[in-house]
Formats: sequence, C-alpha cells, structure tokens
Amino acid sequence: MPTEAPPVPVLKSGPAQELSANPTYLEAVGAALDHEMERDPDVFILGEDVGQFGGAFKVTKGFLDKYGPRRVVDTPIAETGFTGLAAGASLVGLRPVVEFQFADFISCAFDPIINVLARHHWRTGDPMPVTMRAPFGGRLRAGPTHSQSVESYFAHVPGLKIVMPGTPEDAAGLLISSIRDDNPTLYLENKYLYRRLRATGPLSMEPIPLGVAKVVHEGRDVTLITYSAGVHQGVEIAQELAKEGISVEVVDVRTLVPLDVETIVNSVRKTSRAVVLHEAAKRLGYGAEIAATIQEEAFWHLDHPIVRIAAKNTPTATSPPLEDAIIPQPAEIAETLRKVARE
Amino acid sequence: MSKDKKATGDSLEGRDPELLRRIYEVMVLTRAVEDRMVAMYRGGDLLGSLYTGHWHEAISVGAASCLRPDDYLAPIHRDLGAHLWRGMEPWQVMASFMGKATSPTGGRDGTLHYGRLDLGIYNLPSHIPANFPVATGMAFAAKYRGEDKVCLAFCGDGSTSRADFHESLTIASVQKLPNVFVIENNQYAYSTPVRLTSHSDTFSAKAAAYGIPGVTVDGTDVLAVRDAVDEAVTRARAGDGPSIVEGVTMRMHGHAEHDPADYVVKELFEEYSKKDPVELFENVLRKAGLLDDDTARKVRDEARQSAIAARRKALADPMPEPGNIEEGVYAD
Repeated sequence: MPTEAPPVPVLKSGPAQELSANPTYLEAVGAALDHEMERDPDVFILGEDVGQFGGAFKVTKGFLDKYGPRRVVDTPIAETGFTGLAAGASLVGLRPVVEFQFADFISCAFDPIINVLARHHWRTGDPMPVTMRAPFGGRLRAGPTHSQSVESYFAHVPGLKIVMPGTPEDAAGLLISSIRDDNPTLYLENKYLYRRLRATGPLSMEPIPLGVAKVVHEGRDVTLITYSAGVHQGVEIAQELAKEGISVEVVDVRTLVPLDVETIVNSVRKTSRAVVLHEAAKRLGYGAEIAATIQEEAFWHLDHPIVRIAAKNTPTATSPPLEDAIIPQPAEIAETLRKVARE
Repeated sequence: MSKDKKATGDSLEGRDPELLRRIYEVMVLTRAVEDRMVAMYRGGDLLGSLYTGHWHEAISVGAASCLRPDDYLAPIHRDLGAHLWRGMEPWQVMASFMGKATSPTGGRDGTLHYGRLDLGIYNLPSHIPANFPVATGMAFAAKYRGEDKVCLAFCGDGSTSRADFHESLTIASVQKLPNVFVIENNQYAYSTPVRLTSHSDTFSAKAAAYGIPGVTVDGTDVLAVRDAVDEAVTRARAGDGPSIVEGVTMRMHGHAEHDPADYVVKELFEEYSKKDPVELFENVLRKAGLLDDDTARKVRDEARQSAIAARRKALADPMPEPGNIEEGVYAD
C-alpha cells in the first residue's frame, strides 16, 4: 500500500450535494457516499437512474457532475446483471456500491447475492467487498411490491452483513463502514425517514463500527429492542411512557448481522422484560432471532414472556387504513410496553 | 492480432509452431486427465458425479490460448483445457472432485467448482451462466483502471435461456466492456436438446440483438475456434466491446458420468465419433509436418503419466479438518 493515496480525480470540487444545517437521513446517505468516493478512487456507484437523474429518491443527485460516468454508472434494468457485475469488479479490487431502486426489486438479484456474493469468501478465501443500498419499508402508501422489509431473507444467509440505520448520524457512519468492509453488505435505508428525520447538528464522517448496538434511551422497567424506523418511534414512545412512570430502555441494534448480543442481553438482565419491534412481517421476522437469542442467553433473568411487535403476516397494503392496520402503530407499541412493564 | 496468423485452407503457414505444439499438448493432457478421472469415478475415488469436457477440448484450449496471462477467465465445467492452459495442476482438479484439503477450496467447495484467482480464473457457482455477470465485472474493472485486459467467459447452449445471459450481454454491450463470450453448443442441456432451448438458427445470431459481432465455428476444429476468439479478444482489447463466439460440438459423455445419455439421438454420437477434436488437430499437425509418430506417442505417454501421477498425489493428500469450518464466512 502506498503511504499517501493518489488524489482522486473529480470533475467538480466541493460536495456533490449541499447539506442543510441539520441534514436529513437522505442527505446523510448521500454525504457519506460522497465522502467515500472522494477518499477512495476504487469506490464507484451503479444502479438504475443513479446518474443524470440522481436516483429515484435523489440520493446521488450531483454525483454524475462531480465524478463523471466512469464512477457513476447508469445501468439497464438488470438487477442480476449489475449485481453480478459488482461481484466481479470487487473480486479484482474495486469497491462497488450498488443502488437498488426499491428493496422490493432486490429479489431480481437474489441469485448473485446468495450464490455468488454471500459464499465466495468462504469458498475461496477471496473477498467480495460490495455494498448494496436499498430503500425499504412502508408508510408511503406504495403497496405490496414497493413497501417490503426484506432483511430476514438475507439475514438467514451466512456471508452477508445487514446494516439498518435508524438515524441520520448512523446512516452516515454505518455506510462509511459498510463501504470499507471487505464483505458483501446489505445496507437498508428506511425510505419513510428519508426527508422526515433530521440530524441534531452537522454530520460526522467518522465510521461507526458494524456489530455495535446502541442504547438510545435508558430505562429500567422494560427493554425495547428495535432498528431502523423503530428507533425514533421507540424513543418517542419511551418519552411519553416516562410521564406515566414507565421506564423504557430502547436498544438500537443498528446491524442485524453481525448482531451485538452482549448489549441486548445486558439490557434485558437489567430490566427483566423484553419487547422486540420491527416493521417486517412477524413470522420468521428478525424479532424471532432476537427473542430466541434472549431466551438462550438471559432466560433466568426474565419476568415476562418476550413479546414481538411486527407487521401482520400479510403483504403491505396501499390504502392508508389498510396499511396502518398491517404495520405496527404507535398506540399498539405503547400499549404493549405498558402491559409488559406492569404484568 | 497475435503473431499467429489465420491460415488459408489447410496450410499452417504463418502460424507459430511452438504455440501449435503447446495447444496440442494441452489438448492431449486434458483428454488424458479426464479419461483418468472417468476411471476414478468408476472405481469410486470421487465424491459425487464427474463432469467432463470430452469433445470440448478444441473450444476450451483454443479459446484460452488467445489470452495473455494477466487476462481474466470465467470457465465452466467443460473447460478443464482452459484451466490447464493457464497452469491449474491436474492433481488440484482431482483433489477438488475428492473433497481433499489440497483442492483449490480446501474441500469447502468441490467437484467442478475450482478456480484460482492467482491464475485469473473465477471459481463459479453451480448454475451457469452465473459466471457471466461476474465476468462483466472483471472486464469492467479492467476498463475502469484503463488496463487493456479482457475477460473470456464460457457458457453452454442451455445457459443462453437464462436472465443473466441476457442481462450480461446487454450491460457488456452498452458499456462496451472487454468481454468475449463463448457459447459451447454441445447439443444438449442435460437431457434437453437444442431445439427445445432456442428457436434461433444459431446461438451466435443472438449477438445481433445486442449490436455486437457473433460468429459460429466448428467447435471440434481448434484453429477455427482460436481464430474466431483471437479476433474477438483483439477487438475487446482495443476497446471495441464484446463479441459472441459459438463453438458447435457434441457432448460425447452424459451430462455427468452418472448419466447414460440414452436420450441422445444415436446418429449424433456416430457423426461426432468421427470428429474427435484431439485426433483432428493431430492429423492437421502431421499433415503439415509438425508432428511425427514418435513425438505424438511421446506427448500422449507423458500426458498419461501426468494423469497417473496426479491421481497418486490426490489420493494420498489429506482430507480437510472440520476444526476451522466457521472461519472465513466473513473476511476480516
């Protein structure tokens, strides 16, 4: 390795996008991506409409002007093709960042993710450092094939890392770590949060290590274990319940794989009660893994059965009253926490 | 264009005799190793089934002979000849079919899944052409870095139906990637005949849809394969984008050795039994005065001895220990 990295050629200096004083979750993703592309000439992005259009959600707006078409690659609608391309490019030293326009479309790339990326290092010892970004989740009234939470399909497969930030700060720091990681990493962005959640101040571009959970609200009566959009929901509800004298500890796991079991178990040992919350369907959702892990590691500390709050085992509906009946709502989360804390 | 020039008629004038000799030797070695492995399969030495490339030697060796050592290769299970051309050791391939610790994957993967990145050979998963998108990525990386490397990828007739074939050809053509895609048309996808796989006249005709060159050659004629692939490699290296080369041959064994291939039309076996690519090339060399009986016998005997020695080593090699089986799921 050279001691000093060569300068990265850019067509335009300065940030690809201007950041607001309190950057949004979406701006945080873009800023981290920009930061890594500036830092490492081997990082490039590819996906549908990521160039001139700046991506369906505008995460990569301005990137084509700054980095040119060599590093900002508009692909045909060919998820298997461009994901496999990323695998091959990573095998010989590049660090591709793939954008899936919606996480729902990732099923078209299931094969290269499962059969090529996830197992190549174990089979051969050669790494495939590919970051796959995908906007996921509901509450945008986008219906059954534009609202899915896909984390559990992939969490089952050895060899993938799964990153699910719940705040703009984490979105930046975890994306930087994902890109620098030598493994294929699925980085799932909650698209409902894109323009609704803002950072408390300027963003740090320090990497946040993968596999380190965070206690985002301290409490003593019950632990709420969650990730992604569940984090800000959980904290808001914890603040409400504090007024009723219920003390909720909120643990943001931040990455599903690797999972920080220690932080979860330490919290449950303290509170003796655990509730798991996610937006994905309940059956074999990641909450099942967390609940099973808690009973393996902290069963004798529990004063109440572990409860899962998750979406119904249905597709996600479009019409607001239907979608709201499927995805966990604040009232249900609060009521469940009250019940578990008091029983 | 390499210094090896395309001949007119049957003449070998203008071709490099050293290169021709090397191509012949690797074709003979490929056949000897695979014949030995068939005996090993029947004798119970191997783990699962055995996938061979009998009658694919002209395609695999002829195509691989067009590459530079620093180019990339994404072969399939009919392409032992391409592996051997680039320096894969016969015992490593046998070790792979035996699940030995010394196989290229240390027994974690096995049978036909072997490759070596140090030789620029991608180790593919089972379902071809999953190697095609990866091959576009290796070519993309070369172009990204301004290198003039190319990536040569192989697939079979059956593979052309899959989405990754179409998606890779689409991306490689719009991005003008330095890829060469070789389709080994051996008449059958497992038991499915070509007429149930494609309604096109040839597989190379598909190139027209991508706006790239496509050519069909006699896949039993190593020089015909070499000339077509050499032209495609030259084009890719010059930055003019990908090509398709279809080599037509016959799968002379079953899909794998467990498969008696009793669904194959008998006339095809009869027709192709007269078109053994190794014999055909040997005759070309003899006719041109580049090979005599003694040398041919010596080359065949050395290949046979290499295969025997490879078997001996692979058999003696240890099986892997499961102690570290959870290591390496992730790169550190």
